[in-house]
Amino acid sequence: MITSIEHIPTICPYCGCGCGIYLVVKDGNIVGMEPWKDHPVCEGKNCQKGRNAHTFSTSDQRLKTPLIKKNGVFEETSWKAAFGLIADKFQNAEPDAVGFINSAKCSNEDLYVIQKFIRVVQKTNNMDNASRFCHSTTVPALLSTVGSGVMTTSTTSIEQADCIFVAGSNLQETYPIIARRVIRAKRKGARVIVVDPRITVTVKNLADTYLQIYPATDNALVNGMMRVIIDEGLEDKEFIEKRTQGIHELKNYLMTLDLKEIEKITNISLDVISEAARIYATAKRACILFNSGIAQHAAGIENIKGLADLALLTGNYGKPGTGVNPLRGHANGEGFGDMGPLPVFYPGFQAVNEETARRFEEIWGVKDLPSQPGMTYMDMVEKCKLLYVVGANPMLAAPDTNRVKKAFEEKDLLVVQDIFMTETAEMADIVLPAATAMEKDGTITCLDRRVQRIHKAVQAPGDAKPDWVIFCELAKIMGFEQQFSFDGPVQIFEEIRKCVPQYRGITYERLKSASGIQWPCPTEDHPGTEVMFVEKFPTPDGLGHFQIAEYKPPLEVPDDTYPYIFTNGRVVFHFHTGTMTRRTKGLNNELPNGFAEVNREDARELGIEDGDPVLLKSRRGEIKTVARVTDDIRPGLIFMPWHFSECAPNILTGPTAGPPSKMPEFKFCAVSIEKV
Amino acid sequence: MKGNMYLAWSCDDKIREMGESGGAVTALLKFALEMRLVDAVVAVKKRNGNRYDGVLSLITDPDEVVESAGALHFAPVNVAKEIHKYLDGAKDLKIAVTCKPCDCRAIIELAKRGQINMANVILIGLNCTGTVSPVVAEKMIKDEYHVNPEDVVGEELDNGKLVIILADGARKQRDLEELEKKAYGRRENCRRCAINIPTMADLACGKWGTKDKKATFIEVCSQKGSELIEKAIEAGALIVETPDEEAIEEREKKDKQAVELAQRWEQKDFDFLRRLSNKDRLNYWLEYFNRCIKCFGCRDVCPICYCRDCYLEPERGFVQGGQTPPHLMFPLVRLAHVADSCVNCGQCQDVCPMEIPLTRLYHMLNRELSSMFGYVPGMDLSDYPPLTIVTDEELHIEEVNVFRKN
Repeated sequence: MITSIEHIPTICPYCGCGCGIYLVVKDGNIVGMEPWKDHPVCEGKNCQKGRNAHTFSTSDQRLKTPLIKKNGVFEETSWKAAFGLIADKFQNAEPDAVGFINSAKCSNEDLYVIQKFIRVVQKTNNMDNASRFCHSTTVPALLSTVGSGVMTTSTTSIEQADCIFVAGSNLQETYPIIARRVIRAKRKGARVIVVDPRITVTVKNLADTYLQIYPATDNALVNGMMRVIIDEGLEDKEFIEKRTQGIHELKNYLMTLDLKEIEKITNISLDVISEAARIYATAKRACILFNSGIAQHAAGIENIKGLADLALLTGNYGKPGTGVNPLRGHANGEGFGDMGPLPVFYPGFQAVNEETARRFEEIWGVKDLPSQPGMTYMDMVEKCKLLYVVGANPMLAAPDTNRVKKAFEEKDLLVVQDIFMTETAEMADIVLPAATAMEKDGTITCLDRRVQRIHKAVQAPGDAKPDWVIFCELAKIMGFEQQFSFDGPVQIFEEIRKCVPQYRGITYERLKSASGIQWPCPTEDHPGTEVMFVEKFPTPDGLGHFQIAEYKPPLEVPDDTYPYIFTNGRVVFHFHTGTMTRRTKGLNNELPNGFAEVNREDARELGIEDGDPVLLKSRRGEIKTVARVTDDIRPGLIFMPWHFSECAPNILTGPTAGPPSKMPEFKFCAVSIEKV
Repeated sequence: MKGNMYLAWSCDDKIREMGESGGAVTALLKFALEMRLVDAVVAVKKRNGNRYDGVLSLITDPDEVVESAGALHFAPVNVAKEIHKYLDGAKDLKIAVTCKPCDCRAIIELAKRGQINMANVILIGLNCTGTVSPVVAEKMIKDEYHVNPEDVVGEELDNGKLVIILADGARKQRDLEELEKKAYGRRENCRRCAINIPTMADLACGKWGTKDKKATFIEVCSQKGSELIEKAIEAGALIVETPDEEAIEEREKKDKQAVELAQRWEQKDFDFLRRLSNKDRLNYWLEYFNRCIKCFGCRDVCPICYCRDCYLEPERGFVQGGQTPPHLMFPLVRLAHVADSCVNCGQCQDVCPMEIPLTRLYHMLNRELSSMFGYVPGMDLSDYPPLTIVTDEELHIEEVNVFRKN
């Protein structure tokens, strides 16, 4: 006899689109997913990850109890014993000996508590997350040009664009629900420009103008487009006059460029560059969408400054369907930044400095909060003796895996808190079981600044607990009960509202509406903000600042030993390091193994046929996989998906930019390939 | 008795007030639960009081039935599939289900395939002239009615008008055809749907033929329906009178109008495709199929698809895994599997993230097959799909072209 069926609304835990789903709970168990048709972002449409969103959560491989490694073997232990060991080590450590890596898979409440713990209990700003590998270039680039690194339009209003410039993103596979908006914009007449060295499904289905660029020359292309716009007088003079600063310097710089040279660097004919420039510049509303294809380069900052310049030059800010819009890989891809679990920002993007530290000392009722920027992701991996990793998988996600592995082996203590025994958890001394998004209440903030509720549908298995609960309990053991006496996510959110000005007007009560609320939302009667920068930019003078962004070649270029360019990315069936999708039958059965895309001409020269096993080598390591011979990739370029630990691209990657981004150049390194 | 017609309303003041048209449906459901004629009522309920966010609910408490009262035009819930998936096809559970004609038809198709146990199901059919996707409805109400969508307490689709009703009783109406020209209004499949009165259900309930009376016009369509309504009348839960000729004519006239509108839409949508050469028509669809990301959404929500081991899964080895777009066999096998039985419920198109107008494809082919075989899916439990009853003679017809020659 059936006793209950409930539809629990929540947000898909995969990418940053923020699609709504219903989890169907029957007698206490999740039995299925149903479309949530009243959800404004997806309107009941989901990709295969969304359709399988709950499956990993019910996997029998979930971590259920704390584990301690003894003589190389994990043994079950109690929370009390695990906390005792952690507290003992961390309590006596120097602030700079400890580091924390967190994840944008966690909720806002989790991340708020985590950063508070690190600052209040450990007195350090040594904390970072995978955003270091996604948008560490976006934030400084957009701060210096337009004052904020956020998506400026909203997902729904992409439809209002007349031109969509997809800069290096394979939208249809990586953000299908954004691709849908592009399809709808096209139906209304929008022109779509796609730049990508691979002829992806996005190129085939969405592009009206396609630019098959030579990898890592995006900035040269954008400078070339701007030069054409100025030569042809297509810039928005009124917007430049009223809302920007620095046009003369930019113009002077662009005038020094030789378009023939740009044609050579980018390997795109000047006619096509000019055509793209004209389509973009003459559109009433032009929208730039970009992600890691642009950002994951040593010159990522220059790439993104260039895009912001392009939008400022043509007046494409402040209206729906315009702007320079970074897409976020994780479900809480915007919220994690808002919560400040980062080495340079306290919550609400308040820069780490004396003044901010004093302000938070007052709010939190503590002393000696850290006022110096902390270490970034890779510095912590390499330098901190005690490392605490929450929900991240650097063994697959960080560059130069062999080096990461060696660093982990040398740790005094490595704690990993996760839902599965990931490749990183395998390396840990202590493993703590966490709850998934289906097992806790909270909020997450997706790419268009939309704060939305996630709802607890079921109990976490065994002893697993929400991340915020784990840190509150640890804080109590370490003597900070008063600052961590939260009785639930609502109470945490109330504190978030006090610290994060953008969230001030948002309450759990208001979030009952399916649409969520887009920040900034300063007061409880404010409807939220769909489009940013309508009247002015959040810069000190309110103006957009043109920045000169010179083309720089990548850090490691092909040579005789490593003659091919290597790049990597995602496929529609999987997500990031595969911890969730590879444990989801419907997704993993589609694509259970990695592959390397090789151009047909290259393959012929190398004697490689489709399906052949191949060996790829870089200066840092080697991996085996199978070749997928195709015409859909530029000659000289090899592409692999990065979801598979059996053939993990990051064994090959490595070169990394200096400060401020410290971005590893995931999208470009030199490799050799041979048939084995 | 089958064929009887009633004008009916609830004996209960509260239900009369909360329910649509005198609350007869709510009264019947409550009665069925109270008398333990069923274990549960399955109905679409507003979640959190939000009429744009309907969810399927399993109601076992008679006093809770009234919460499902009132028509919801903005909540196209996949009733049949959810009964199949989450209620074990009513295998061991007696239920009364309120459903639109397409829901009834989908339930009957699943029952033909042994997936829903009709012996345990009472179908309380509701007249329907279409539903509106909730996000479209909200935008339409804002832009075309200049009303905050949250202020709407009811809506009606009648006489070619879409009427919204506000809390203070005020009514605002817009011309449906005008709205639909602007891409507002009903879902694409609903526009073409010519089955408005669910005579395939046990009881067909609706407003047509009630003139201005606060009552529901009920046509008894089966022995099961007859038993339920007669018991309810006998117990005094339902008050009824016999509709006069005029009422019956009014109902027929309204139905005819709705059918004609559907036919106009069908002509508009399909004639363009029918006129294309076979090659152009194939190319038209190939362009859409090339967009497919293989999310399996159309299959997952299709009430005709029920295989435990689906032919399209990668482990079956027929459509290679991991490819986008998937091989052409993916959409074509889906088409072949559902075309003769498609009930035009529109769920596939509702969930497609790539905006492929799937219902247009399935429904169009189904219409061609329907006229060829004289078979309309979902109308009669004992009427099997053409392919299952194909004769030897039919198997030896040499030239088969589904589409009429150009």
